[in-house]
Amino acid sequence: MTGVVKDTTFIVIPAFNEERAIGAVVAELKALWPHVIVVDDGSRDETASVARQSGATVLRHAVNRGQGAALQTGITHALRRGAQIVVTFDSDGQHRAEDVATLVAPIEEGRADVVLGSRFLGSTENMSALRGLLLRAATAFTRMTSGARVTDAHNGLRAFTRAAASRLEIRLDRMAHASEIVDQVAVHGARCVEVPVHVRYTDYSKRKGQTGLGAFRVLLDYLWGRWLR
Amino acid sequence: MTTFQISAFVFLGLALAATISFRLRRQASFRVAFAWSLLWIGAAVAIAWPQITVRVAHVLGIARGADLVFYLAILGMFVGFFAVYVRFRRMESEMTRIVRELALRNPKEPDPE
Repeated sequence: MTGVVKDTTFIVIPAFNEERAIGAVVAELKALWPHVIVVDDGSRDETASVARQSGATVLRHAVNRGQGAALQTGITHALRRGAQIVVTFDSDGQHRAEDVATLVAPIEEGRADVVLGSRFLGSTENMSALRGLLLRAATAFTRMTSGARVTDAHNGLRAFTRAAASRLEIRLDRMAHASEIVDQVAVHGARCVEVPVHVRYTDYSKRKGQTGLGAFRVLLDYLWGRWLR
Repeated sequence: MTTFQISAFVFLGLALAATISFRLRRQASFRVAFAWSLLWIGAAVAIAWPQITVRVAHVLGIARGADLVFYLAILGMFVGFFAVYVRFRRMESEMTRIVRELALRNPKEPDPE
């Protein structure tokens, strides 16, 4: 990893009521990468101050707008700061900081414009059978609707070149943005590769994650965005 | 004239007056005011001469005039819900744009160690 890549890579973390986990997530990333942006999505706890103390630049949504909205805010800010590579990362501690290098590598080598982390090519820790099933169903759906051959469509760990990030326009504010991103990447004809990453589920991240019913709402939101907007 | 007809005319008359007053104060677009006025006048006509609804119902293959009115009311409600939902979604995305703009104007740099 060259110094130039490190200096121009910005990591965007959308966070909502994440004061318990965000400090460790930011500290772990800051040890390896200089630019970490946390978008505090209208948290009612100390997420913003914990993130700043841990070394992140913090943008704050005055009211909660959803993960998709927060990602777009962070990506826009990163681009304004001159990012050449934008990485998205989850706030609940389920991703590992060392995987960012794996994600950035195909871009640095000029092989890809968009890199998606896949837990199904990589590995997981403590993932429930139901969660696995739900994620596979969501991925099958995304493959069908976007035509993109992905193995894990709903993984928050992604990397974009500046050009690819500039063309993103996340309009689905809540959780359906994951499918939306894959759709847009497919439409824009960006070169997309998947790399194996590790996802660790903790009781904490499970509690913060989607439930089966939530997944149904995500589906409705996505369909709305795709056909009725 | 039945008691029902009298009270309905009073209500519909007030509704029409309110609609016209909204329009005159430029608080409603012409299209919206016109659509609401049509609704109030249509309802008044149907209540004054119920046999008209029966005749229209028969043309459409519906047995009773009251059924026709009922179906139209349900249909109108769905259209209304949908219009409100579309507007709600638009407002949500406008709100996101405002919230984003505010956030982008005021980035907080990391606390010095």
